[in-house]
Amino acid sequence: MEPQVRIRRWPWVVIALSLAVAFTLSMISPADSVQGDLVRIMYVHVPSAWLAYTAFFVTFVGSVAYLVTKNLKWDRIAAASAEIGVYFTGLALSLGMIWAKPTWGVWWTWDARLTFTFIMFFVYLGYLALRRTTDDPIARASRSSVLGVLGAIQIPLVHFSVVWWRTLHQPPSLIKPDGPAIQDPLMLTALIIGVIAFTVVYVALMVKRIELIHLDERRLQIEQSIERPVAGEAVTAPELGAT
Amino acid sequence: MITGFWHQVRAVVDRDLLRERRQGDMLWITIPFGAIALLLIPLAIGTDAVLLREIGPGMYWVIVMLFGVLVAVSRASRETLPQQDASALLGLDPAAGFVGRTVSSAIFLLIFEAVVGIVAIGLYDISIIGIGWLALTLLLVAAGLALLGTLTAAIVNSSSAGTALVPLLVAPLSVPLLLGATQTYDGLQGGYGILSWVLLMVAVVLVVAIIGVLTARPLQET
Repeated sequence: MEPQVRIRRWPWVVIALSLAVAFTLSMISPADSVQGDLVRIMYVHVPSAWLAYTAFFVTFVGSVAYLVTKNLKWDRIAAASAEIGVYFTGLALSLGMIWAKPTWGVWWTWDARLTFTFIMFFVYLGYLALRRTTDDPIARASRSSVLGVLGAIQIPLVHFSVVWWRTLHQPPSLIKPDGPAIQDPLMLTALIIGVIAFTVVYVALMVKRIELIHLDERRLQIEQSIERPVAGEAVTAPELGAT
Repeated sequence: MITGFWHQVRAVVDRDLLRERRQGDMLWITIPFGAIALLLIPLAIGTDAVLLREIGPGMYWVIVMLFGVLVAVSRASRETLPQQDASALLGLDPAAGFVGRTVSSAIFLLIFEAVVGIVAIGLYDISIIGIGWLALTLLLVAAGLALLGTLTAAIVNSSSAGTALVPLLVAPLSVPLLLGATQTYDGLQGGYGILSWVLLMVAVVLVVAIIGVLTARPLQET
C-alpha cells in the first residue's frame, strides 16, 4: 500500500501573507513623477517576470536532474515549475500590455523583450501540452525533460534582449553592474520586497502543485488497480458434445 | 547488422533518401508549395516592387522555417513504433539514427532553400551580397532546423497528439535561427558586423546537436 499524500495547509497562509505584504508596500510607496500611479503595476509586473525566469530555470534544472538520475521527483519539480512559470509569464505579459497602452500609446509593440517573452511563453505552453499527451509517467518524464532542457535556450535570449537590441523596453532596473536604476529608497524597497514575496509565493505554489501531482499519480494507480469487466467476459465457450 | 557509427549514419541517410526518391512527397509537393507561398504574399500585401524587395528576404526565411516545421511533422508521422523497434533490434545506435535522420532532413532543407531561393530572387528582385556568408547561413539554418525537427519528432513520437504538437514545439524554438538568418542578410546588405549573428546560429546548432545525441538513447527507450 502506497503511503498517503500529506496535505499541507501552510502554503495558503504563506501565500496570503506574502501577497498582503507586497500589496501594502506597493500602495504606500510614492507615485512616480512621470508615470503617476501607473508605476504600481511594476510592483507585480517585475516580480512576475522574475518568477517566470526562475520557474523556467528550475524546470531546466529539474529536467537535467531527471535525465541524469531517472528519479521522478525531479520531473515533478520541473513540471510544477513550468506550470507556475507559464502562469507568471502570462501575468507579466498582460500587465505589461496594460501598462504600455497609457505609457507607450499601444497595447503591443515589436520590442525585443516583449517578443522573446511571448515566444518563451509558447515554448513552455508546448512543454505543458506535451506532458498531456501520455499518462505513462516514465515516457512523459523522459520526453518533457528533453524539451525542458531545449526550451532553456530561450531564457538568456529574453533576459539579454534589452541589452543586445536598443528597443523600447527599458534595460534591467535592479540587477545592474552600477547599482539599481531606481533612486527612491521606498520604491526600491517595495520592489525588492515584492520580488522576495513573489518568490515565497512561488515556493508555496510549488509545494501545493507537487502535492497535487502526487495525488494525481495516486488517482491513476487506484484507477488502474480497479478490476473492470472485460468485453466478452460474459460469453462462455460452448461445450463440445452437449446436446 | 551494420557496425560502426558513421556506417549506421550513412545507412539511415540512404534509407531516407531512397524513401524520398520513391515517394517524393517532400520535394515534389512541399517545394511547389513554398514557391506558391512566395507568389501569394504579393497578392495579399500589394505588388509594390520596392516594398517587395525590402520584405522579400524576410518572407523567404519565414517560408524556410515553416518548411522546417513540415519536415519535422513528416518525420514524426513516418517514424512509427514498430519501425523504431525494428531499428533497435537490428542494433542501430540511437545517436547514429538521430544523426542520420538529421543529415537527410538537412539535405531536403538545403534543396528547398536553393530552389525557393531562386524563386524568391526572381519574384522579389532580392540582391545578393556576400555569397560565402549567405551560403554558410543557408547551411546553418538547414542544419539547425533539421536538428530541431528531428529532435522534436523523437520527443513527440508514439504520443497520440504527436504530429499535431510538432509545429507548436518547433516554430518557437527555431526563432533564434530565423533571427540570425535575417540579421545576417541585413548586415551584409548594410555593411555592418554579422559575426555575432553567425555565432548565435552556430551556438544553436551545437546546443541542439549535443542535446539530440545525448538524449537519443533515453528517448528511444521510452
